Amino acid sequence: MRQPRARGTAVDAIRIGNWLENFAGYRVQISQLRISRWFGQFENTHQDVAARILDCVEFFREDHLANGYRAVFGRLQGWSKKASQRQERWRFVAFSTHAGENGDRMLHTFRTATGLSATRYDELFIHRSDLLREGLTAEDTVVFVDDFAGTGNQAVTAWNESLGELLPGRPRTYLVLIAAMSSAVQQISAQTPMTVKAFRWFRARDNFFAGECLHFSSAEKAIVLRYCELADNVNPRGYGDCGVLVVFAHRCPNNSLPILHSNRPAFRGLFPR
Amino acid sequence: MAQGPSPGIVGVKTIPTNELEPNPHNPRRLFDPEPLKTLKGSIAKVGILVPLTVYWAKSRKTWVILDGQRRWICAQELGIKSVPANEVAEPSIVQNIVTMFQIHKLRADWELMPTALTLEVLMIALQERRDDKLAELTGLDRAVVTRCKKLLSFSKKYQDMMLDPEPEKRAKADFFIELYPVLHDRTVRRMAWFRPDTFTTKMLRRYNEGGLNAVTDFRKIKQHINTAVRAGKQKIITQRLEEFTQESDLPIEHLAIQSASLTSKVREITLLPRNWRRCFATSTRWTSMQKMICGFVLRN
Repeated sequence: MRQPRARGTAVDAIRIGNWLENFAGYRVQISQLRISRWFGQFENTHQDVAARILDCVEFFREDHLANGYRAVFGRLQGWSKKASQRQERWRFVAFSTHAGENGDRMLHTFRTATGLSATRYDELFIHRSDLLREGLTAEDTVVFVDDFAGTGNQAVTAWNESLGELLPGRPRTYLVLIAAMSSAVQQISAQTPMTVKAFRWFRARDNFFAGECLHFSSAEKAIVLRYCELADNVNPRGYGDCGVLVVFAHRCPNNSLPILHSNRPAFRGLFPR
Repeated sequence: MAQGPSPGIVGVKTIPTNELEPNPHNPRRLFDPEPLKTLKGSIAKVGILVPLTVYWAKSRKTWVILDGQRRWICAQELGIKSVPANEVAEPSIVQNIVTMFQIHKLRADWELMPTALTLEVLMIALQERRDDKLAELTGLDRAVVTRCKKLLSFSKKYQDMMLDPEPEKRAKADFFIELYPVLHDRTVRRMAWFRPDTFTTKMLRRYNEGGLNAVTDFRKIKQHINTAVRAGKQKIITQRLEEFTQESDLPIEHLAIQSASLTSKVREITLLPRNWRRCFATSTRWTSMQKMICGFVLRN
């Protein structure tokens, strides 16, 4: 979580300009009008805490995503662009693949960022449904690519329900992420053979509602929770109670506070999913 | 088939419980808690009486369970340190898949796509595509084999959607199985505008957005197409189906061609035996218009 401005700092042109610059490139244009409308949903006395939340948002632009993937990929052992120097077979697969969402997009970003766009690398990028037919063994490596792991539940379920069955030869398996909650990484590591490699790790202090988060007082957290309940009464602290303030250029994860991404009439987030 | 039907027995031994791994080809991911509880009670009292069947996976350097995963789960939960096991030679991938299919009968609520992909590996390895042979080999119901093969006919991107990690966002196998007859209809495939993947994507979007009541709506679509074809209304149904595909707010009824339905009924009647015709001509369920047309057809 980024450091917010001091309490009572004016929401002036400079501060708004910083937000506009910071959030440029989101899938929905973040304009001054949109920010004003978002603020308008808070009572006057609560707008200071709302502004400080925006200060804390970690926004990952497209180039940040590319840098993140490049950095993480550079740490994977056994990889070489030269096939002769590469440790056995490597395969790259999008982790999420539901219609219209970001699985393929993330894989594309990963591929471009890591300099593997050339057609000679096509065979390395496969569909999840190709995994079983590939007959990968313990010497081979599979790299799943996604953006964020909030709870780890999705990855564990995926492994138990299908991935485990699609990788009977138990190749070395990485889950490459831009960001992950450390608790999610622990869960995935404990319950699946996947090794998580994340560019940015979020810890308990990055959870807005956690006691470890010292940027906001208990009273401020209670105020924000009320707005979050308006935005999403099922997961007011973000999915899995993650309470993070993270936004990717292509989408705001549902683990972030719902006042950031909700699209409900009762409260419209600044970063609709 | 080059490989034998089952791996040969090597010997009986005692293996530490924590050194065993479940078989990755086991299609049974969930175990009913009640029978497991009964088994656990039995094992707690008398121990494991029937040894597990295991093999040593050379590449992974670990023991893998071929048969007895439920006993192993119970042993773990009971804190039993080692279990008796019959060691068999490491099976080939084909032997392993066949054994797993034979041991664990497919349950209706299991996801079908992983099973379909496993079946695909068998089909490639054994060069066998016949439904009855595959059913015999795996112990799967023939209808399940047919359903699996239908899923495998879809593009990889759709297969991937059926494997999505988020259950609520995972595309349902039933959707694709019900769509299959429409997608492979000869008339539809001849339509100039028709592209299978585009059509599939549009239908998937329509389904996800509530534009279809159920996956069985594809049966209605197929029925409308058949009726139109029987009445010689290919041109109209081609246009209507294209409109239905492009405009997501058009209801299925848009595909119903009234004159085609009537012509189709009349044609059916002309093909019926004489005594059936009499029966239909006097039926009270028929409208006067239908009777009039029917009478005209029968006279001519």
